[in-house]
Amino acid sequence: MEDRSALVGTRLPSYSFTVERGKIKEFAAAIGDLKEGYLNPVKAARAGYADVIAPPTYATVISHWGGMGFHELCDHLKLNRVMILHGGQEFEYLGDIAAGDVITVETLLSGYAEKKNMHVLTMDSVYLNQRGEEVLRSRSLMLEMK
Amino acid sequence: MIDFASVQVGDRMPALTKPPVDQIQLVKYAGASGDFNPLHYMDEVGKAAGQGGVIAHGMLIMGFIGQAVTDWVPNRSLKSLKVRFARPTMLGDIITVTGRVTDKKSQGGREYICVEVAAADQRCEVKVTGSFEAWLP
Repeated sequence: MEDRSALVGTRLPSYSFTVERGKIKEFAAAIGDLKEGYLNPVKAARAGYADVIAPPTYATVISHWGGMGFHELCDHLKLNRVMILHGGQEFEYLGDIAAGDVITVETLLSGYAEKKNMHVLTMDSVYLNQRGEEVLRSRSLMLEMK
Repeated sequence: MIDFASVQVGDRMPALTKPPVDQIQLVKYAGASGDFNPLHYMDEVGKAAGQGGVIAHGMLIMGFIGQAVTDWVPNRSLKSLKVRFARPTMLGDIITVTGRVTDKKSQGGREYICVEVAAADQRCEVKVTGSFEAWLP
């Protein structure tokens, strides 16, 4: 069995992602959450936003399309991708994310634990916009079933 | 719009029931989110993983929770949203999101509510549990 505890404290390569209206609309439509604030720039502006805004779970788009893909990430972490489950997800909202924003993400592998029937990997990310403002923090728990 | 004074501990968030999760939704969500884990679109991978077939992206169900939450409180008021994925959601499952206010707090002169949330299917099997916090005026 691969010892991955050495990964704790290491970082994934940093990346940037430009938030776009079309991708927000596509994501909102996939969930079936068609709020005006995600679709209509005029209505979003009237509500005081710079542009259409990202739904609360939009960071998943940023990480998958901006960062490593799932296969690449599993290879990087030497995980058996067939046995990976998403165990938990946490977001802390610190500011708006709107179309036009360029979000830079830093990800730390913050924990690794051996459980009876799984390995648990914890990843913490911070999301900064083009003005250097921290707009989001996330924590992901990835489970690799034995 | 709801305000801090009008919300009491024990209050229920309005429930949201989604249409049955189908294959088209999982394909759309895979493309939109960029999560192309084959577990979510290849039956044989789901079976190999011991799930009995394709399962929905956990983040899709968290997306349903995000929808229910922001149907109730404005997006900008959201302070945090945290979930644990308890059981897989299968094709055909009808997910209902519910929530209950557990606490009212203040921080730095601003007030916020704490709400526990859950997503369960048509058999009341809980798929996702979690909580959110929201600043309220």
